[in-house]
Amino acid sequence: MSRPVCSFPHMGNYAWVMKDLAELLDCEVMVAPPITRRTLEIGAKNSPEFVCLPFKYNLGNFLEAIDKGADVIVQAGGGCRFGYYAEVQQAIVADMGYDTDFIQLSGSCDLPSIVKFLRRHNRRVSPREIRRVIDLTWAKLKVLDSIEDDVRKRLGFEVEPGAHEVLVSAFLRELSSASDHAAVERVAAETRDRMLAIPIDKPEQPLRVGVVGELYVLMEPFANMDVERRLAAHGAEVHRFCNVTGIVEHATEGYPVVQRMLASTGPYLTYDPDAEGAYSVFHALDLMRGGFDGIVHVKPFGCMPEVTAMSALQRISREHTFPILFLSYDVQTSSTGVLTRLEAFCDMLAMRRKELVDA
Amino acid sequence: MQPGKAGYTLRSHGSNTAGVWRVQSSIRRVGIPRALSHHTRGALWDAYFSALGIQTVLSPKTSRAIIDEGCRLAVDETCLSVKVALGHVAWLSERCDAVLVPRYVSVGRGERECSKFWGICDIVRNSVPGVELLTYSVDAMHRTHARTTERGELYRLARRLGASRPKAAYAVARALSAHRRERAERVGTNPARTATGEHPRVLVVGHAYNLYDDAIGQPIVRELERQGCDVVDSESVDHRLAARLAHKASPSLYWTNSRQLLGSVEYWRDHVDGIVFLVTFPCGPDSLVTELAVRRMKDVPVVTLIVDEHSGETGLQTRLESFADILRMRREGRAPGCGAAVA
Repeated sequence: MSRPVCSFPHMGNYAWVMKDLAELLDCEVMVAPPITRRTLEIGAKNSPEFVCLPFKYNLGNFLEAIDKGADVIVQAGGGCRFGYYAEVQQAIVADMGYDTDFIQLSGSCDLPSIVKFLRRHNRRVSPREIRRVIDLTWAKLKVLDSIEDDVRKRLGFEVEPGAHEVLVSAFLRELSSASDHAAVERVAAETRDRMLAIPIDKPEQPLRVGVVGELYVLMEPFANMDVERRLAAHGAEVHRFCNVTGIVEHATEGYPVVQRMLASTGPYLTYDPDAEGAYSVFHALDLMRGGFDGIVHVKPFGCMPEVTAMSALQRISREHTFPILFLSYDVQTSSTGVLTRLEAFCDMLAMRRKELVDA
Repeated sequence: MQPGKAGYTLRSHGSNTAGVWRVQSSIRRVGIPRALSHHTRGALWDAYFSALGIQTVLSPKTSRAIIDEGCRLAVDETCLSVKVALGHVAWLSERCDAVLVPRYVSVGRGERECSKFWGICDIVRNSVPGVELLTYSVDAMHRTHARTTERGELYRLARRLGASRPKAAYAVARALSAHRRERAERVGTNPARTATGEHPRVLVVGHAYNLYDDAIGQPIVRELERQGCDVVDSESVDHRLAARLAHKASPSLYWTNSRQLLGSVEYWRDHVDGIVFLVTFPCGPDSLVTELAVRRMKDVPVVTLIVDEHSGETGLQTRLESFADILRMRREGRAPGCGAAVA
């Protein structure tokens, strides 16, 4: 009997790291074809009309993977609408005539429950092996997130266009094939050296822009139409706080994280609006107080927690005359529209900076 | 120590408590928006405030002006139901000391409310300038550090409003029993499932705050009745029964309201001629739950009406008219089997 083939949705570059974990399920692991316009089109075609955008991308990933031979789909869940994705997607895939198994991950991220979960699906793997792979994946995730963070801050100032992109793609290849902690550390150190060797021309006080918002659109460059790269292209140092290591750490710690954030969101946000709503408002306020030039808030159209956060962000923007650009993404969103608005936003930030300096 | 006097301290519960947990004993007139939770908890609040001796002001039925005001205040992507609620709050904000906007996160373990109910206090505070809120937060979810129940929250609210301990307890008891009575009445008014009438029977599936709203759900119910249909609604099924049926149909569904909708569909599906799904644009839970419910429905005619602030009566009328025609033709055995018709 041939082993089942398992696949999972894309988000940013994480698939290259997450595939190790999926291998523990006693499956062949297939990384879904990279997201293209077609992914979104077939996803949207088979999705409910005004479900949020990540649902459509995920479904597109699944359908493309199923076409390529996947027969087990792993989907995460938890929070707002995301927790209910798996069941509806499974119904849609079944109605389309595919015989595909869905495995839904539970929301808990602590080690014992992951071990228990994996053991339930695969008795043959030992707890020790699971721990080893999780440790390794965690190390890779941390390296990936920290390198990407550094790249975001340098990207806009590279002398030779595209140098960082080459670096990142080589880094991902090496990282995904690293098989132990020593290798991961080696890859990290080498990449960092190579990154520092890339010449950049960074002004003393560049424009600093933070991107906040809903996590999927924030972390998937295809879905957000390359917001980060485009901001960088306009000479901004881009900061983002949302990444998978952060999410896992917060999920492990639980509710106190949100509570800590709410302690400083003052009159704008008193209660947790679910999912990342509190994070968006907290980081926006934090960055404003930290002297950032502006903030870009991204979300899928109709995202419930982020719309709540938006009411707070709009008030912050109004009361403090602080520039916040709101971008809402759906299937029809055009990249030209996003590009134009980002361009105008960056120009405005630069002019505002000049005025503040002159005044 | 008497409430309201100096030195009276309040234990804080729930998340961030700044600005929320303070004595509000000067409040004499409380505004109740005729929106969202009012449609399920109207009797509860009436009994509660009358027992406390506090006057209440109920906002008028939803009108064009209220919707327009709500749309002006809200973030455009907010669902119509929240926009309507904002319109009501704005109407009340100048006419009373405080407006009641409670926050329901979860009323029982393993279930939760739509994220809009989580954020409603902050939405209102950020969107309606200068509004004074009276609020409490019911959060029975496991992950939260401090679980709160409706009973406990109502009691603490009463204390904050200056009631003595016995008076607060009395008000809570009155309120909860009024709430139970109202629920039972709603279930009791419906015809038996098996009774067949001479008119086509239509199930209207929608959240209580849409069904009973005078601008969202009531025009649809009236139109169906004008077309000669017997209307039953999704609130007519006992909550526990509905939750059980919904769990069978969709084990991972966690929204309390959506369980009621799906459960009512499961309950009525073999005993109605057609089902109308009433969805406000862009409702988050409904975007998924309606999809699942329609997919499960292979043999009953279904129409999904998506309503937003621009929806006109005429469009509605046309669609419901043809829907009623289909139902009548099917009854007379003239129409072929109908699949899902999505409007």
